[in-house]
Amino acid sequence: MHLPAGIRNYTYAQDMAIFRTKTQWAMLGLLLVALIVVPLFMANYWLSIFNIIAITIIAALGLNLLTGYCGQLSIGHAGFIAVGAYTSAILTGQYEVPFLFGMLGGGLMAGLTGVLFGLPSLRVKGFYLAISTIAAQFIIMWVISQWGSLTGGFIGLNVPAAEIFGYQFTGQLSKYYLIMAICVIAIFVAKNLARTRQGRAFVAIRDNDLAAQVMGINLFRYKLIAFFTGCFFAGISGALLAHCYYGFLNPEFFSFKESILYVGMIIIGGLGTTAGPIFGVVFIRLLERLLSLELVPFLESTITVFPSGWASGITPMLFGLVIVLFLIIEPRGLAHRWQIFKNSYRLWPFSY
Amino acid sequence: MADLLQYTITGITVGMVYSLIAMGFVLIWKSSGVANLALGQLVLLFSWFTYGMLAQTGLPIWLGLFIVVGFALLLGWIIERFILRPLIAQPILSLIAVTLGMAYFIEGLCTFVWPWGVDVLPRLFPQDPVRIVTAVVSQEYLWAAGISLLLFVALSLYFKYSRMGIAMRATADDQMAVQACGIPVTKIFSRSWMFACVMAAIGGVLMSSIGGISYGLVETGMKSFSVVILGGLDSFLGAIIAGPIIGLAENLAGGYLTAITWPGVKEIIPFIIIIIVMFIKPYGLFGETRIERI
Repeated sequence: MHLPAGIRNYTYAQDMAIFRTKTQWAMLGLLLVALIVVPLFMANYWLSIFNIIAITIIAALGLNLLTGYCGQLSIGHAGFIAVGAYTSAILTGQYEVPFLFGMLGGGLMAGLTGVLFGLPSLRVKGFYLAISTIAAQFIIMWVISQWGSLTGGFIGLNVPAAEIFGYQFTGQLSKYYLIMAICVIAIFVAKNLARTRQGRAFVAIRDNDLAAQVMGINLFRYKLIAFFTGCFFAGISGALLAHCYYGFLNPEFFSFKESILYVGMIIIGGLGTTAGPIFGVVFIRLLERLLSLELVPFLESTITVFPSGWASGITPMLFGLVIVLFLIIEPRGLAHRWQIFKNSYRLWPFSY
Repeated sequence: MADLLQYTITGITVGMVYSLIAMGFVLIWKSSGVANLALGQLVLLFSWFTYGMLAQTGLPIWLGLFIVVGFALLLGWIIERFILRPLIAQPILSLIAVTLGMAYFIEGLCTFVWPWGVDVLPRLFPQDPVRIVTAVVSQEYLWAAGISLLLFVALSLYFKYSRMGIAMRATADDQMAVQACGIPVTKIFSRSWMFACVMAAIGGVLMSSIGGISYGLVETGMKSFSVVILGGLDSFLGAIIAGPIIGLAENLAGGYLTAITWPGVKEIIPFIIIIIVMFIKPYGLFGETRIERI
């Protein structure tokens, strides 16, 4: 990796710093200010896109910790998000727990469910684990859709709006500030978690878990920590999804396809980087909006030769194609491209 | 008592179709180490394709099925050549994820071409129910079981005696050694994908001639995962034995547990079995326990 010109590191802390120059700090400040100011001038349509992107980023960061850093592939992420969403909705709606505690409760519940289904990871890995997370997804969604007395089953569940100290988050703009604040915290936590003892243990386990164990890393502990953290993020994201995005829950929101899409997002973004999930989520969610709200209705209405509904197949086809192409052509994802771009910008006009 | 016999016969016959689909999975896993998670979607695609050939174009049944098998062979070749070949020697994570991407694509393709989502195949087998002691079983189940059995025998003979079959078994054993002996490993890979697709196609036709075509076929294909997990990923024998066990378990559970738990328990039993097997005997009944070295 290349540093900006003229940077010297004299201490370990300097060497580890994420932000090294005044310019970088200024740009971070500018970004934060932009995140606060720009939405004031945006229409609700765009605000809701921003909201879903930010909520998805939280869940994708969790999956990235679990899959990208710790190497434990989970194809049941939507199931864990559903656990968080329903727990939080039931806690606040039926037991009148304050929203913040409901959200944390959703995170904890999702984390514990993750630990439960992550237990096989201690004996198996790779494909076996992937299958058991698929099983987790189907079992969780079956319980949720059948336990009608608690979750509303297929009919759905109404979720109260988020409320902190008596202030209700009902408008798109206020929801945006709540979601964005939590999202920024989540990015901060995820980025720094990856650099701690835990994060390094995760990477060691991903690269070779046997070697990691020989070096004294407690696999039992760290794999379960990875599952707990990853699913905790999912739970928080689910709670926000319930309270601030849908306002209504239905098992259909958390389908198996959604789980695959989460895996796709972190692959497209770049596994094992913090910027990766952000790139991937923005890419996929924008594409999803563009396709399902603009292109599909347009095609449906212009080309009427085919039986109705044909164009809705285009979205999953393109998603599948994008995932496959990224894996073949750029397995390190958009984050790697961004790194290449940054490096060549720094070295310009010298090409090496 | 009549119920029990009924559930048993239905369970075992449906289970044999699961076995058939699962064997396609085992074949790919053994020869190339790729886990094909798009199995359910492939089953769906081939069922729709059969529908397209038989119901939409109205070809005679023998010609239609012939084309379906041809299409399955072609698709298997395409998948291996253009998706899996560039990813040889990539980490297992990429190999799993690429089949997920494929699954997404195939599902979209099915919606794209057949957007109405639910239909029935033309009748392939005679309709009249058959009486076995006290149970009444529709003939389709017996046909499905018979065809699966026939395919098992044919495959076993192929692997036992044909040159290519022996080469495929050798590849499963040790890729490097086989390569060194001058056997074209990539050809083996594509051959195993082609075979697996044909098995998925036949399984799909059998399943959809019994229960019609719907999105549920994807879940049927996914139930084959529980067959391979229970039987052991790298064991054909395991797949053959575990299939009827899974079919039996889900039909008995559907028959006797629905009253005391929630509806739909039948659909979820295979996934619960996966979790139980993971905890007790993760490498399955007949799977080889992997001993790792650093």
